[in-house]
Amino acid sequence: MLKCRQLVALSSDYLDAQLSLRQRLAVRAHLAMCWKCRRFVRQLQLTQAVLRQMPEAPIDDLDERARALAAAHRDSQG
Amino acid sequence: MSDQQLLRRLLAGEDAAYRELVQRYQGAMRAVAFAIVGSRHAEEVVQDAWLAVVRSLAGFEQRASLKTWLLSITANLARTRLKHNRREVLLDDLPGPHGSVDEARFDAGDHWRQPPTAWHDDSPEALLAEDELRQCLERTLVSLSELQSSVLLLRERQMLELDEIAGLLEISQANVRVLLHRARLKVFATLEHFEETGQC
Repeated sequence: MLKCRQLVALSSDYLDAQLSLRQRLAVRAHLAMCWKCRRFVRQLQLTQAVLRQMPEAPIDDLDERARALAAAHRDSQG
Repeated sequence: MSDQQLLRRLLAGEDAAYRELVQRYQGAMRAVAFAIVGSRHAEEVVQDAWLAVVRSLAGFEQRASLKTWLLSITANLARTRLKHNRREVLLDDLPGPHGSVDEARFDAGDHWRQPPTAWHDDSPEALLAEDELRQCLERTLVSLSELQSSVLLLRERQMLELDEIAGLLEISQANVRVLLHRARLKVFATLEHFEETGQC
């Protein structure tokens, strides 16, 4: 029977679908009975969603860089 | 706009298409460069990669996605730069500002001693609406090792598959999984700390 600490150790692999069938079933069986670990996994998923939606830092020299690259491309075409 | 449409406009030399290209992919390229050469040289590698990309655009055969192609050019240039002083893969864990989910959280029987507490906000939008939390998360990301933060961003923000990350960075998939797990737990600890205390 999986313990909470082991579940936490497997949690990322569980979210990334990296577990064997046997491990996956063990995780699901544990989650079915343990609200603390259910909460943990839910919050870890929320952590992922937050990272996904965090605004990226704007690119300072975007226009300048785009113009330089377009020019470099034209030059390379000779 | 699809890769194909973008490519057509790039080949026509439209400035706006280059703007779109940089905006769409520079973050991922930077994360790859950062993981391989570190912060000091990442910007130079990205710049070299862009030049290599625009010079060979006409020859891009679309066997892979534009993103995969851009990232492999970036990874190759970064590795060339490192050829003579290849870094070891550092799995060493730097401490996060709010810790992690470590053994102190569990009792001798490996059950929770300090279980996760309920959070006030349960959507990413609600959490990110707090300026202070956003800054706090940035601080945690900066505290991660270069490799760890790159792996986290490539997975969570750029949605790359684990084997793709492993291939680009030339590290084992097992190492990618370890780096990712440790990074996630530190970010989790920051969110938890903020939800409990209301401050960073």
